[in-house]
Amino acid sequence: MIVAFIFLAAMTLILALGVVLSRNVVHSALLMSGSFLGIAGFFVMLNAPVLAAFQVLIYVGAVTVVILFGIMFTQRPQVRGFRTIINRQIWPGLAVAIGVGAFLAYVLSIQDWTGTVPNNGPRETGTLGEILLGVNGAPPIFGLLFEVISVLLLVAMVAAIVISRRKTGEGVDRQEVE
Amino acid sequence: MPPQAQQVLDTLNATIPLEGYLVVGAIMFAIGAWGALVRRNAVVVFMCIELMLNAVNLSLVAFADYLPDASGAGAGYAVLVIAVAAAEVAVGLAVVLAVYRTRKTVNVDEVNLMKG
Repeated sequence: MIVAFIFLAAMTLILALGVVLSRNVVHSALLMSGSFLGIAGFFVMLNAPVLAAFQVLIYVGAVTVVILFGIMFTQRPQVRGFRTIINRQIWPGLAVAIGVGAFLAYVLSIQDWTGTVPNNGPRETGTLGEILLGVNGAPPIFGLLFEVISVLLLVAMVAAIVISRRKTGEGVDRQEVE
Repeated sequence: MPPQAQQVLDTLNATIPLEGYLVVGAIMFAIGAWGALVRRNAVVVFMCIELMLNAVNLSLVAFADYLPDASGAGAGYAVLVIAVAAAEVAVGLAVVLAVYRTRKTVNVDEVNLMKG
């Protein structure tokens, strides 16, 4: 357990730091997918294999591919100098981030978590499905949340198509510029 | 088996306390916040926001697994967070694409039309 935990924690955190500090945007995207894989490993350790499968399918697969498409459309592949990828707030930003992280870690670890034991989670797929639909003792609000989230996803997809659609006579391709 | 080896085995097989997962989640959230604050490229800012959402997901699932009275509700919330993150990345990248078409840049500090 402890070996797997240390390995996954190191993988997740180092790759997450790589996302922030990498000078190449494509490397950032690939390091991000590795970091998400580490989180999927944590989900397996936390008795949530269904969520781990969701994580691999949605984040490591879909979100990474969508972000790589976004990179393809908006950048030229080139390695930039370190000064040009960071704006002027690097040291204030670092101070704020360390403050947030230290505060959260302190608040979470001074709590008395004795008596909490693992293996309470919904390990079965059916149990997770019942929770999502708010039946069989799960909080009934989940039924409403499930419906709202479905409508939200539909609206977001339509909005993404509408926003990124090229209107006639507006905007030009990169090839036409060059 | 000698007692030292047994002790080492017990240490290796001990259950991770809840604080371990929560602290990893907090540090990952802080890294994501730092990236979202200091990077200039809008796409990388989106990646850092995804990192922050994943850190929160890790905390939610850890609570769902460790707290006996939670009855696994945190796992349900984690699914909702994943759906919201997918919607966010789709709309966000569409906005970045539209901004790139009109301004030919995706650096967030150069898109300052509304700056006073």
